[in-house]
Formats: sequence, C-alpha cells, structure tokens
Amino acid sequence: MNSLLVLILAAAGIVLGYFVYARHIDRKVVQPDPKKATPARMYMDGVDFTPANRNVLFGYQFKSIAALGPIMGPIVAVQWGWLPALAWVILGTFFIGWVQDYGAMMMGVRRDGETMGALSYKLISPRARRILMIFIYFYLLLIMGSFGNAVGKNLMTNPRNPLGMIIVVLMGILGGQMTYKWRRDIILTTVVTVVISFVGIWVSTLPGVAAFFTAIYGGAKSPVLFLGNTQAQVIGTLLVIVFCYLGSVLPIWSYAQPINYISFWIVSLGMLGGLIGLLIWRPGMGDFPVYTQFTTASGPLWPILFVTIACGAISGWHSLVSTSGTARQLEKETDALPVGGGAMFMEMGFAVMAFLTATVAFGGLKGYQDAGGAGAALGVFSKGLAAFLNVIRVPREFGMAYGSVFLTIMALTIMQLAVRFMRVASAELVGKQVPAMKNTHVGTIVALILTLVFVWVIPWLTIWTAFGAANQLMAGLALLLIALWLMSEGRKHAWALYPSAFMIITTIAALVYLAYTNFAKLGNPKITTQGFLASLLVGLIAVVLTVAAVILVADGVKALAKPGAHKQPKAA
Amino acid sequence: MLRRAGRAAGQVFYGMTTFDWVRDLRRGRAENESLFLLIAFGDLVGLPLLPPYYSLRLLPFVMPSLERWKRALLRERDWTDLIGLIEGAE
Repeated sequence: MNSLLVLILAAAGIVLGYFVYARHIDRKVVQPDPKKATPARMYMDGVDFTPANRNVLFGYQFKSIAALGPIMGPIVAVQWGWLPALAWVILGTFFIGWVQDYGAMMMGVRRDGETMGALSYKLISPRARRILMIFIYFYLLLIMGSFGNAVGKNLMTNPRNPLGMIIVVLMGILGGQMTYKWRRDIILTTVVTVVISFVGIWVSTLPGVAAFFTAIYGGAKSPVLFLGNTQAQVIGTLLVIVFCYLGSVLPIWSYAQPINYISFWIVSLGMLGGLIGLLIWRPGMGDFPVYTQFTTASGPLWPILFVTIACGAISGWHSLVSTSGTARQLEKETDALPVGGGAMFMEMGFAVMAFLTATVAFGGLKGYQDAGGAGAALGVFSKGLAAFLNVIRVPREFGMAYGSVFLTIMALTIMQLAVRFMRVASAELVGKQVPAMKNTHVGTIVALILTLVFVWVIPWLTIWTAFGAANQLMAGLALLLIALWLMSEGRKHAWALYPSAFMIITTIAALVYLAYTNFAKLGNPKITTQGFLASLLVGLIAVVLTVAAVILVADGVKALAKPGAHKQPKAA
Repeated sequence: MLRRAGRAAGQVFYGMTTFDWVRDLRRGRAENESLFLLIAFGDLVGLPLLPPYYSLRLLPFVMPSLERWKRALLRERDWTDLIGLIEGAE
C-alpha cells in the first residue's frame, strides 16, 4: 500500500470520527451548554482553575498526551503485519480513544473539576481510589523502565548520540538562565538555544567525536558488565540516570521546563520535515506483509497488540491529564470536544506517521528488521525519519543523529518529571514510617535505583508490554467511570460502557498471559540469573495489576447495579 | 478569515510551547502569596500568627485575593492532582 493512501485513510478516519460520530455524541447525548459555568469560572484560583482559550488548551492537551507512546507502539505492533496495527490505531481512536479523552474531560467539568482519584472514590468505591494509586505508581515505574531501556540501552549506545543530547541539555539550562536571570527576550533565547542545539547535533556526527565515545564505550565490541549489559549500555543508562537526577532535584524553572521548551522545537521541526519528505517521496510498503502470524515475539495478536499500541489508539493516561489538567481550565463546556476529542484525533495522525516510518521508509519487512525491528523501535524511528528528511536534502548521517537526539530528549523530558513525581509520592506514602524518604535526594535516589533494576534486568519488549497493560487498565477504569457518570446523569452510556468492557477484558487477558508466560519461564532449568529476575519481576507486576483490576471490576459492577446509579433518561 | 486562522494557529502554538511554563510561574507566585496570606491572615483558617492590628492594616490590600486563597487552600487534594504537572507522560 502506498503511504499517501495510508495518510488519506487516516484523514478520512479523522473527518468521519470527529465531524460525524464525536459531534453526534457531543450534541445529542452529552449536550454541553456554553452558558453553564465551568469549574474554571466557578473556582478560579489563578493557577489550576483558570479559564483558557480553547485553541491554547488544544495545544496544551496535544503536547501533554503525545510523546513517545504513539511513536513506539505502532513500530512494535507492525510485527503482526501492517493491517492489524493500522486498523487498531484508526478504529481504536474512532470508537474508544476520543470517547475516553472527551468523556473524562466532560465528566471533570460537570463534577466540579474533581480528579480521577476523587471520582473513582465517589462513583465506584472508596478502595477504587487506592487501586488507582497502585496503578499510577506501577505505571510511572514502568514508564521509567521502558523509556530508560529504550534510550539508555539502545539510542545512547550509538556513539553519535551522547554529545548531541548533552548539548541540547546544556542549551536548556542556558535557556532557563537567559529567560529568568538575564531577562532576555524569549525569541532571542529560542533562536540562540535552538541553533546551537542543531550545531551540537551536527558536531556529534563528526568522526572524531564518534571515535571518542566509541573509545569510552570500550571499543566496537563493548565488554559485558552487570547482568549481561555491555559497557556502552551501562554508561548510556547512567547518563540517563544523572539527567533524571538533576531534573528531579533542581528547580523546575532552571532545568526541566526550559529543556522541555527546547525539545519542543527539536521535535516539531523534525516531525514537520519528516512529513514534508514523506509527502514528496510517497513511498510504498514494498513486500511488507499485510499480516504475519497470530503469535509473534511479543505474544498473540489478541490481547497483546491492544496493549502494545496504547497511546495513539487509546491510553488511560489521557484521562488523568483530561481531568486533573485540562477540565479545570475549560472556558466553556462546548470547548471539550475540540480540545479533548480534537487532540486525540491529532495524536492518531502522529501514530500513523510513526507507523509509516516502520513500514515504508525501508522498502519492506527486511529493511524494518535490519533497522532493529520491534526490539529497537526507537532505532527504527530515527532511521526512518532520517530517510524522510533525506528527501528534503538533509544528510542521512545528520538525520539519524537528529532522530536519535529528538527521541532521547523526548523520553528524558518525561522521565525527569516522572522521577519528580515518584519522589513526592514516596515521601507521601512512607514519609511517616521512614522520615529519610522525605529528603529530596533520598527519594530521588530510591526511585532511580528501582529504575536501574528495571532497565538492566528486564528485556525491552517485555517491559513495553507490561507498561501498555498498566496504561490500558487505567483506560478501562476511566471508561467505566465515564459510563457510571453518564448513568448518574440519565444519559445514554453504551458508547462508553462497551469500549470499557472491551478494554478491561482485553487488558486482564494480556496481564494473565504476561503472568503465565513469565512464571512458566521460572521452571526452565536453563534460565539465566537475569532471565529469572526479569520473569519474576514482570510476573509479580502482572499479578498485582490483575488482582487490582478484578477488585475494581467487581466494585464497578456493584456500582452499576446500584439502584441510585440510574436516573431517568434525559431528552436527547 | 485568514487573520482568524492565523490568530488561532498562534494560540495553539502558545499552548504547545510556553503555556505550561507560564502556569508554573503563576503557581510559584501563588505559593508565595499563599504563604504571605497564611502569615498575615492565618486567623481566618484558625492559625493566628500575626497580631490583628497589622492584619487589619493589610486587609484592604489583600481583600481581592482572599476568597481565591481560601478556596485554593481548603480544596481537597490527592495524588492525582499532581498528574497535571507531568506533561506528555507517554
């Protein structure tokens, strides 16, 4: 299939999904009232509850939900063939993805801007809030593990990557200083820092620089250290850890926020260039198979494909952003569809772009596998992006380094904030029992040690599947909450309840499969120490999440059956 | 028409770039203001820290923000409140 046809198909999905299905639900079922006071107006505090323009919120929501998830998921999922991956991205967004993002936002608006924790407490059961906390903690740990693994053990081992990454980080720090300390204009700051970042990425491709990092990494064949990790992987992960440590302990204005800002430019310019290159080139998929086989290295198509592509089709994380973040800033109820639904459909476009880097950039399946395949999704993306950029005369060598830095910085900006959150969470959770955990450095170091264990021990594909399962379980819960909320308002709720049932059943099946396959490996007499630890860890996480999901579903079903849950239907 | 589209694109761009940065700054300022109000008008929430004479002299200046401060201070919070701070966690 030609890439242009894929883009047209995705555009048709967006037009039909947004302008027909979503608009119908919005106008006929949820019926937002533009004159009704939103929490942003009722509880305005100048920070969290502040009305903002819908275009601004659309940009904010899109930036908040689109990161590495929609890039990595489709690239891993094409191992089942291009059709299942593309179908899930388009149909998942069409029937489930926007429903969750928009529904969670409207639920937040109509319920006084309450968070998912408070909503699950009130709509399901008191213990549902605690279960949500477990999900979130595991989710963050799995983010750290999967992103840390993909970056530290894959991208950073390329000797052309580290210098570019270090320079972008330094430019972020410079950007913070220029804005806050020297009070320079934001345009000047942007031009200086972004231009120097590009120069830094170019310098990192020079043979001398690559030779320097190759020597540090222990030569072309890096010696093996710690649980089968090479010296390059150990150094790469430690660089990531140092970056995250600084992100967690330094003031947010001086480090995390300006780096985030610089990374926006690097990412958006790369995506724009890649899209232009793709539109000019319009390559076909060559011999890339429509469908490969039911069971691949990751597992069976159902349920594993549906947790492999989370963000880009449906992701539980979006519900948290929609309620705690965006719902409290909506100026009018009618803004929820363009902001929540619109951002989700745009993210689908982002996922399709990632899908195309895997399927069309290398001329077929062999090219995709040679680029790293499902086990090195980020490597595939950076090489694919370099191929697209090459069409607009960007040298391939620079394009690859640029793609690597683009993805590294994208992952690191998220990881540093996740560590910050884990530090706060652990202080809240065990601060009374272990006062040392209240210390910023101790809390950060504990979170980073846990991350290192995950990164060094668990194989990337396994941790990615576990991460997807935790995420999709949250999506199932969010959809269940939305259905309960719609019932409490006496509105039609099948459009949220059926997707919820699908997500919960699929995710529980995926977790049971993960637990079973990993515990089965423990009995193998030939298993290595690393393999044993990895299987034990993933198996235990899968069991904890399965038990949590079963409790939650039981409570949810009880809440659905409660007489007070149903109200008289409102006139449609 | 073109002007409207340009303005909308500018707003989306602002939302993607510096909107959360501005929000962080607002949050920092709000925390400082909250601390000041707590010291000066702690008795409003049961914490008398400053003699009422000085509080009363300050009252006209802080009057506009009192309602907002009390609302923000007394709002129920949990972990999921912090999620809004982690942008792009995927």
